[in-house]
Amino acid sequence: MTPPPTDVWRRPPLPTLVAAILLIACAEVGGASMAKFKLELARGARAIMLARPAVHGLVGVRDVDEQIIDEALVKFDAGLRLFHLHAEGMGLVIIATTMTAATLVQSGGARRAIILLLTVGGAGYPFGYLLWSALIPYYGIQTGKAVAEWAVWIPFGGATIVAAWWLVVLVGARLVRRA
Amino acid sequence: MRRPPLVVVFLGLVIIALGETAGALMSQLRPQLASYARARVAANPQAHGLAGSPEYDAEVAARAVYAAEAGLSFFHTHAQGLGPLVIFAGTVAASTVRWRVGRGAVAALLGLGALFPLGYLAYSLAVLEWGREAGIEMAERYVLTPLGSAAIVGLVALAVLMVAGRGRDRDA
Repeated sequence: MTPPPTDVWRRPPLPTLVAAILLIACAEVGGASMAKFKLELARGARAIMLARPAVHGLVGVRDVDEQIIDEALVKFDAGLRLFHLHAEGMGLVIIATTMTAATLVQSGGARRAIILLLTVGGAGYPFGYLLWSALIPYYGIQTGKAVAEWAVWIPFGGATIVAAWWLVVLVGARLVRRA
Repeated sequence: MRRPPLVVVFLGLVIIALGETAGALMSQLRPQLASYARARVAANPQAHGLAGSPEYDAEVAARAVYAAEAGLSFFHTHAQGLGPLVIFAGTVAASTVRWRVGRGAVAALLGLGALFPLGYLAYSLAVLEWGREAGIEMAERYVLTPLGSAAIVGLVALAVLMVAGRGRDRDA
């Protein structure tokens, strides 16, 4: 049996494409929601923070408390923005990298593993920013960050990084063989 | 859709992988990166115009460290964006441009353009070694502008070749 031609792109598995498209759609919705509900989101986060003074170190002095709340709201907003940016970027990264893996990685096991890692890692990673934002009003900036880091960024981001370098090595080896 | 030359795909992938890795390192090693940057500023007092006044010097150092961190952040975001862009634009070129030389030229320009985000790494290092203004100017003049121009010229050439090819098809 002749192997499939590698000068023509092969389509990645359909679930991978659906995950990437949904991720991009979530990013667009996230961006639009941030713009449309900016005030409501900030008000809601502020109300939750005021209800948990101990978590945020609020002392009851307006000048001090406002500074602390403002800093937390900046991070809250940054988390939403970073979700929007990363989800848009990772959607395209998933399509480009899994298409490359589907076309250029010959070993079936390696191809499936790389595509799985890129899909799961890439689709999950941006949601860490959403989780961070959601946690900030309840648990504070640092605790929220630590939870998002261990629950999402490290496992999902790690999967993407491992798969991306694995793919680079395999495509690089192919380039060297051809040279 | 046809695949662009392997080397273009490889460059796109390397940039994506570097971008991902840089993002993770920036997040995990932020304090270490900041203290390294402050150490480099202190090691190059003349380049940064440090005057020996603690308050003034601290402000100058903070601005340089901020610029270096911004360079790393730009590297991360541009690498995520430009890697896929080079692969997709290369695919469009490989699939739609029939003139072999033109297709090769576009692929070469896109391959060079893929390296554009590395300019922001140079930007970060140059700011720390040569001072904020001089470092940014060096990185822009010698790395960012040539590589960015290659990407722009490649994309414009691709558009021109696509339109020209369409015109030829209609005439034939």
